This record gives sequence, structure tokens and C-alpha cells, in this order.
Amino acid sequence: MAVDAGAPYLTRVRQALADDGLRAALDRATEHLSGRRDQAMADIDAQLLRDEAGAVRRYAIEHLPDLLEQLESNLIGNGCQVHWARDAAEALGVILEIAREQGVGDVVKSKSMVTEEIGLNDALERSGINVVETDLGEFIVQLAGEPPSHIIAPVIHKRVEDIAEIFHRSLDMPLTTDPAELCAAARRELRNEFLIADMGVSGCNFAIAETGTICVVTNEGNGRMVMSLPRVHVVIAGIEKVVRSAEDAVLLWQAASRNATGQDVSVYFSLSSGPRRRGDADGPDEMHVILLDNGRSRILERGYGDATLCIRCGACINVCPVYREIGGHAYGRTPYSGPIGAVLTPLLDYDIHAARDLPFASSLCGACRDVCPVKIDLPRLLLDLRSVVVERNASPMGERAAMRAYSSVMRRPARYRALARLAARLGRFIGLLPPLSIWRRSRDLPRFAAKRFGTLWLERARDDEEGAAE
Amino acid sequence: MIYDSMEARDEILARLRRALSGPRPIFRERSDSSAPPGTPTAVTQADGDLRSLAKQFGAKLEEVSGSYEILEDAEEAFQRLVQLVKEWRAEDDEEVLSWASRALPIENLGGLLEESGISLFIPEDLHDESTRARAARANVGLTSADAAFASTGSIVLASGRGKSRAASLLPLRHLVLVPMSRIHTTVEAWLRTLRHDQALSSFLRVSGQIVFITGPSKSADIELNLTLGVHGPRVVHALIFDDTW
Repeated sequence: MAVDAGAPYLTRVRQALADDGLRAALDRATEHLSGRRDQAMADIDAQLLRDEAGAVRRYAIEHLPDLLEQLESNLIGNGCQVHWARDAAEALGVILEIAREQGVGDVVKSKSMVTEEIGLNDALERSGINVVETDLGEFIVQLAGEPPSHIIAPVIHKRVEDIAEIFHRSLDMPLTTDPAELCAAARRELRNEFLIADMGVSGCNFAIAETGTICVVTNEGNGRMVMSLPRVHVVIAGIEKVVRSAEDAVLLWQAASRNATGQDVSVYFSLSSGPRRRGDADGPDEMHVILLDNGRSRILERGYGDATLCIRCGACINVCPVYREIGGHAYGRTPYSGPIGAVLTPLLDYDIHAARDLPFASSLCGACRDVCPVKIDLPRLLLDLRSVVVERNASPMGERAAMRAYSSVMRRPARYRALARLAARLGRFIGLLPPLSIWRRSRDLPRFAAKRFGTLWLERARDDEEGAAE
Repeated sequence: MIYDSMEARDEILARLRRALSGPRPIFRERSDSSAPPGTPTAVTQADGDLRSLAKQFGAKLEEVSGSYEILEDAEEAFQRLVQLVKEWRAEDDEEVLSWASRALPIENLGGLLEESGISLFIPEDLHDESTRARAARANVGLTSADAAFASTGSIVLASGRGKSRAASLLPLRHLVLVPMSRIHTTVEAWLRTLRHDQALSSFLRVSGQIVFITGPSKSADIELNLTLGVHGPRVVHALIFDDTW
């Protein structure tokens, strides 16, 4: 892997920036996806969709405890078993317990960021359970032993040649770069997994409180397979996924489809309301729903509820000039990258020190806010998180020292004038020395003007006086 | 259990209630209104008589790599169905993975197909090994839309007795019968009708699964190349017929 997710932030960024192939792939893919998104939103009353989608998400969060209770009671009424988990450890405990009780040896999974968030695959494998990702992109990164690098397009960082190599090595097939052949090989391989799996694990895009219904959005149909073929279906849903009604879910489905891939609607929108009914030929005999907090209630307590409105479409990621340069792996051990990832990662149960740099991985250009389908003011959240990092003294020591020095200079005119004169004379050289040389590794230092503004101002005032005297 | 799920439940709900009623607002931005949002506006549009809606449905389905035909009546739809199955099946004695005859909108379809030399496999329990293996061999699946939407080219399939999910999921080709009377303008209009008839909640809850399908299974995960039939069918072909005579 070009980028080591466990390395410090600046190292990860340097590794990503050094990889020209990665940046070419990112450029192409993000431009394509955001172009399709813009077209799909231009076809409709985009402002109205954003207003309505934002309003139904806000309503859901403002009524979260009541809607969760309603959801729970309707899920149980539909024959589901509902579990609540405060954190990742509890959620993993429940899944492993279900797997043990049911004698599960093989698990198929559909793409789910929340399962990445809790580290499900590792936990299952440690318990000797075989787990297979079935989304084509997720399947490829699983074969490569890498985490996904984009919430919608997990393998956005790989070229077809890389994928051909991975398939050749792992699936024992001839080397080919024909996408149709690669896809057919994955279909064969995964079809077999679907047919033998004892348990399907999916995430949840929306959970309808009114009817106790779990909605999953996919294009490949793997989500529907995971929800339909194995004897046991386990859903992991963040508690923020609940919505009021089917109408609200259908609205958000369309908002997510248009903003993620520029489709009117995704190919599959699967709504499961419990296990198979008497007389049904297929569908799970048991359906479990795990409602997971894992830091979400704390996000509301801390007043960052806006971040819980997110419907995971990835539009903010595709337009982000920082993501376009560094890609998803540079955001570290988090499934959430780009602007929303830079907000969610430090807010969720991730160590503030490990994630302290992410709110700074933004130029605050506002492109993310302009595309967000539920109108999250991401730059504002990023700025607020930056001030938290600084208040907690979690910013790097060098930076704090630099800020203290800056403040001592800026508050004393004499020091400022002396330093500015020095800069005007030595401007070209001071950028070569620490600390500015370190700062300059990822930024350009503006050229210092030969004459200070103060000097120019005095000269102009003098000229004016002379002019008036003549 | 390793921990008490009910205790976790009560703690999570209590935390949420505290956060919502606390002095600190949960959002950075204040809301413009406190009234609950109304029923969402339709995102896409379609209008016209049933014939015209059928054409719009078909055109939309084609846009997403599906295909369609509009046929005059059930008899014509049946003839076309026989033709297509004979063209598509790999062997003459191959079975079509199908919904039960009573769940299909053409009278005695199963019997008629048998007479034409086409046998249907209607699975009873797909958790049974041999049933599953038999279903997995089918190249053609046959179902019928419970509803369809002209503005997006989507069909709705509800699972139930004699209505397997596998028929629209496992085979490479999915044939779906769409009686014209089941085509609605938009998904929102359909929801509004169900809601008005107080049938929405029961429609969603009676079936284990409702699925909206819009075209064949697809992925663009490999360097943005569009590939069809990743997991589900590569071909979704709608036989729309006029059932309003």
C-alpha cells in the first residue's frame, strides 16, 4: 500500500502526494462522480430537494429517542430481534454471540461503513469465522488487504492493472484488464459464497420508524443477496439512521442516489421488515438489528448534531480539493474520509490525538457545503473542531510555540516593524530555515514585498502633502 | 449475553433525551421552522394516459440499460414470453425460476407454459440444499411487478408465498410482467395512494421484503467502467401489456 494508515498524518500525506498514479486516479474519479452529480441535480429542483432532505433529517435527529423507541417496537412486532450497543465492543459481542449460537462458519457482507467503524472483519476472523465482502470494490480491497478509500467507491485509488494483478494472484485466473471479465470472475467467486453463507451482515441506509423497516441501497444487488439468502441476517445501524416514514426514506434514497453517483435512483432499494414469513421460499429465518451509539449521542451532547444528518453520499468528498490530492487512506484508520470524515472521525470514538490533524485537512473553500444534500455546514464544523483541538492543547508543540511567537510580534508594533524590515530584506532566505521550512513542506510561502505596506503608506502621504503644497 | 442490552438501551435513550432537552442546542445552525416537515414533493415527474406512462416507463428503463416491449394484451404477452424463454435458455429442458402461477397476472400461465414446452420451477424452501442448487442453475427468472413508476423506470416486487426473491436475483436474465394498470406516474404518487387508502403500513409490513429494482445489476468500481450483471441479473426485460380491456 502506498499510504500507511498507521503512520502520522503528515507522513501519510507525504506518501500520498508522492504517488502520481494515485493522484491521477483520484482526479479522474472524483471529477467524473462530481460531474455526474451536478448533472443529476441540474435536472431537478435541486434547492427544493436539499431543503426537504435536510428538513426530514433534522426532524429525525430532533426526535431521535422517540423514533428509536417506535422503530424498536415495530421491528419486534415484525419478528426482528433488537439489540442496543453503546460502543464497538458491545456490538461485536452481540454479533459474535449470534454467530456462536447459530454455528456460523461463513459470513457474507454488503458494503457498510459502520462495520468498518467497529472493525467487524478482524473480530470475526479472530473467532475463526470466514467473512467475505461482496460489494465488488470492497471485495477487491479485501483481497488486497487494504481498507476502502472512499465511502461510495472503495477502490477509487486502484488502476485496472492493479486489480488485474490482484485477481490473477488471489483468484488464480489469467491476467486480464478487461473489466467485464474481471467482473464475471468476481460474480462466480462471490455467487458461491452467497450460496454457502450462514449469515449475512449489512449496514442500514435508513430505518423507517413507522413500520420497522430496514432500507439498504445498492447498485450491484449484493445487499439484497446478503439480506435474502443466508439463514441469519444481522443489520448494524447507527442510531442516527432512523427516519419517520416511508415517504421520508424514499426522498432520502433519491437524494443519496443523485448525489453519490448521479443516478435518478439506485438499481436496488431493498426494504426488509423482518424474517421470512410463513410460506416464503426465501429470506432469513432470523433477523437481528443492532442499534449502535458508539459516540453518536455524545456528538449531540457536544452540539455537533449537524454531522449526524449525513446520508453518506460522498458528494463532499468528490469536490474536496484536499481529498482529490491525498485520497482516503491519508485520513488514517477511519472509514470516513474527505470533509465529512475530517468532522466525524475526531467526533466519533477515535482518539482525539490520532484524529487531531483531520480538521486541518481542509482549505475551508466551502465546496463541500455547497453540494451537501442535507445542507451540513461542514467548514463551520471544521473550524469549531480546530478551536477544540487548540483549546485542549492537542495541537503540536511547535505550532503552539509558533503561535505564541506570532502573537507576541503582532501585539507589539516595534517588534512587528523590525521583523517586517528583516523579512523584506531576507524574505527569500527565511523560508529555507526551520520553522518555516517545515511549514513550507505542504504549503507555498508568499513572496515578501520589497517595501513594507507601512513604508508605502508614509511615502504616499508625503507625496500627497507635496502635491497639495504645489 | 456478555452485557445487558436493555441497560445499554436505557442509557442511550437517556443520554439522547438529556442532550435534546439540555441548555446547549444540538445543532450549530438554528432551524428555520419548528413545524414538522410536510410530505416530500415528488423529485421526478411524469404524466399522461396509461399508454403514454407505459412508454415513459420503458424509455426510462432503457436509459438504465434495461429493455422493454409494449404488447396489446395478455395473450400477446404470453406468446412473446414463450419466444424469449426459448431464445434465452441454454438447454431445452432447462427450468425457468418463477413465481407461482397465481402470483402472475396472466390466467393459468404455468399451465399454458407447460403446454408450450416450458417448465417452471417454483421453489418452496430455498434453505434446502437441493432446492437451492436447482434454483442456482436457472438462466431465466420470471416475476411480475406489484407496481411500476413511469418517471424512473422502477418496478416494485413484494416477497410472499409463491413470490420468491430468488427469481429476480439469481438468474442472469429477469423477465418481469408489467400489467399497464400497475404503472404509476411517480413513486411519490404511489405512496400517496397507499397512504390515502391506509394501506401503506400493511403493504410494507406484510412482506418480509419489498424491493425497488431499476434496471440490471451494475457496478463502476473498476476504474469507472460500467459493468452489468455484477451479482443480480444482467438483463432486465419488461413485458408491458394492456390489462385494461
